[in-house]
Amino acid sequence: MTSRETILSKLHAARQPFAGLPPAGDMIPVVPADDTSPAALRVRFVAAAEALNCTVTACPDADAAIRHILGLVGTDSTILSWDLKHVPLPGLGAALAAAGIAIAAAGDAHVRAGLTGVDAALAATGSLLLASGPGKPRGASLLPEVHIAVVAAGQIVPDLETWLAAQRAAGLEHLRRLNSVVMISGPSRTADIAMETVMGVHGPGAVQIVLVGES
Amino acid sequence: MDVKARDFIPVAQVALSDPALRAAVKRATDTAAQKRLATMFWAGRTHGEALRQQAAQARRRALRDLPALLEQAEAAMTANGIQVLWAADGDEVRRLVLDIAARHEVRRAVKSKSMISEEVALNHALQAHDIDVLETDLGEFIVQLSGETPSHIVTPVIHKSKETIRDLFVRELDMPPTDDAEAMTQFARGHLRRAFLEADMGISGGNFIIAETGALCLVTNEGNGRMVTSLPRVHVALVGIEKVIATVEDYATLTQILPRSSTGQTMTVYTQMIHGPRGADDDGPEHVYVILVDNGRSDIYPTDYAEALACIRCGACLNACPVYEATGGHAYGWVYSGPIGAVITPLLTGLENASPLPHASSLCGLCKEVCPVDIDLPRMLLDLRHDLDEAGHTPPVWKWGIRGWAMVARSPRLFGLAARAAGLGGRFLPPRPPLPPPLNGWTRTRDLPELAPKSFRQLWAERQKAGKRDD
Repeated sequence: MTSRETILSKLHAARQPFAGLPPAGDMIPVVPADDTSPAALRVRFVAAAEALNCTVTACPDADAAIRHILGLVGTDSTILSWDLKHVPLPGLGAALAAAGIAIAAAGDAHVRAGLTGVDAALAATGSLLLASGPGKPRGASLLPEVHIAVVAAGQIVPDLETWLAAQRAAGLEHLRRLNSVVMISGPSRTADIAMETVMGVHGPGAVQIVLVGES
Repeated sequence: MDVKARDFIPVAQVALSDPALRAAVKRATDTAAQKRLATMFWAGRTHGEALRQQAAQARRRALRDLPALLEQAEAAMTANGIQVLWAADGDEVRRLVLDIAARHEVRRAVKSKSMISEEVALNHALQAHDIDVLETDLGEFIVQLSGETPSHIVTPVIHKSKETIRDLFVRELDMPPTDDAEAMTQFARGHLRRAFLEADMGISGGNFIIAETGALCLVTNEGNGRMVTSLPRVHVALVGIEKVIATVEDYATLTQILPRSSTGQTMTVYTQMIHGPRGADDDGPEHVYVILVDNGRSDIYPTDYAEALACIRCGACLNACPVYEATGGHAYGWVYSGPIGAVITPLLTGLENASPLPHASSLCGLCKEVCPVDIDLPRMLLDLRHDLDEAGHTPPVWKWGIRGWAMVARSPRLFGLAARAAGLGGRFLPPRPPLPPPLNGWTRTRDLPELAPKSFRQLWAERQKAGKRDD
């Protein structure tokens, strides 16, 4: 018998534990919230992200956002980035080119800043939800010292529960095709040495959220 | 990892006489416990408790349906492109990982935290086959450099001072001397970054597997979990068979309640769902393997200890436990410490190898109260004591003492006599007397309460008489 068969047959043969449990019913969200209007979501997302030591900069339109991003990149000649078609800022490619900023090959670990969009932003916890895929390399939000994330105000959802409910409604097959889904909640951090919190141990030490548009 | 849990008492005694260690452990556990309260109950006691019960039920339903969910998870992961393997014990885990390493010509491996790899001493096996393996969680990296073992599930070097770590980095890695935790961390970042980029294989644990989507779920704060699962060509995850959960909804509850109970964060910095290897025009590993590890878990499953398998390894019971706070983690002598260690070490490694652990508890009940999935640890500690007794592990002195007590307590006449004798004896004893052996261990660090000159029963009888006169 293979180990698979041994383990499974042993479990199948066992008296079933917790047999009297009620079926899964309606679930309560981990972070309850009454007001899920776009304006309220935006306020909650910004407060939660800032509490996680992210920097949030609200920009009224794409032009303002692009100017802010160019400022963040500064004098660097290369950045890591998602394919710009996944970053909701029309005109960004031209602006980067005009500023002489090239996009490095995915996986280049010596670039200071990484630019991404997001697949969703979670108001309850200030988390950025990023799925990998063609044109959306994982490294852009992981390898650099600074992660610049462009969030359109309309991408803010109440919480993880809501986002997963939308995935279920769309059919979980879609979710399963996303090879890597990560929720990023603030800069990389550790408190392993003498309980002192230090940012940027392996991943980015700074997360710059560029929040674009009115809610 | 060798089981040294039988040495609990001598090792604990060494820890107890180390005031710096006790202070460090107390500070760390107190901080974590306070942060837990703040994030678990920020929306009120009622909501926090309801959430705990929701998480508890999610884990128990998963255990109830464990074999079916494992089959479902295997099918879903396989369909996603993950290669699923099964390991009955430590030998098989080591053999499977070595096989994978050989197949992909792996010379260098990087690891994010995996408790199972500690259970089965994977690092030794890899090193014995000339495969470099580096721990990348900063705390685990420090543990590995110093040749020690972790002393806490979540914060492995809770027991080490900043100065000790500085000296270690200077000695082993030629770090320019500094007392700044940030500078030390940045130095480690540089060292480990090179390792991530050069590694052929990443080894991780797994916090959950979602059966319906075949997702391997991981949480890390430092980002090493993402590095290990993104940069090397091959990713191998070692996951206990009990880690499977049913639905994405259960995942939403559990992955958020885990950091709240563990470090008091609302979310771990990097909360990942991995569905498969890289696609076309994507980065990430070319091969993802998940090894489903039994290593004693299926023996626990049919017993009254099945509840212990609901554990999500948050460490809240360690942070709450007065015994853990006093002794630190090393005294528990194996991978898992604190109350959950006192329960699962005997269950996974054999009662006879861990006989002191079920007694390493005051049964105060705090571990159950703080557990995010409401595991009745005190009940299981008591049951294990019972099992130890049945298996003949109770010292004769205890047996006779308890038998004597039972005899006296069951007979009203003997009980009255004993109380009277104690009252009489108390008059002739010096204040705070030491008890004679074998009871002197108790009075070595405590005062015997003063014995009342008259017992309650005597006082009661006298009152009754006086009352009758008043009528």
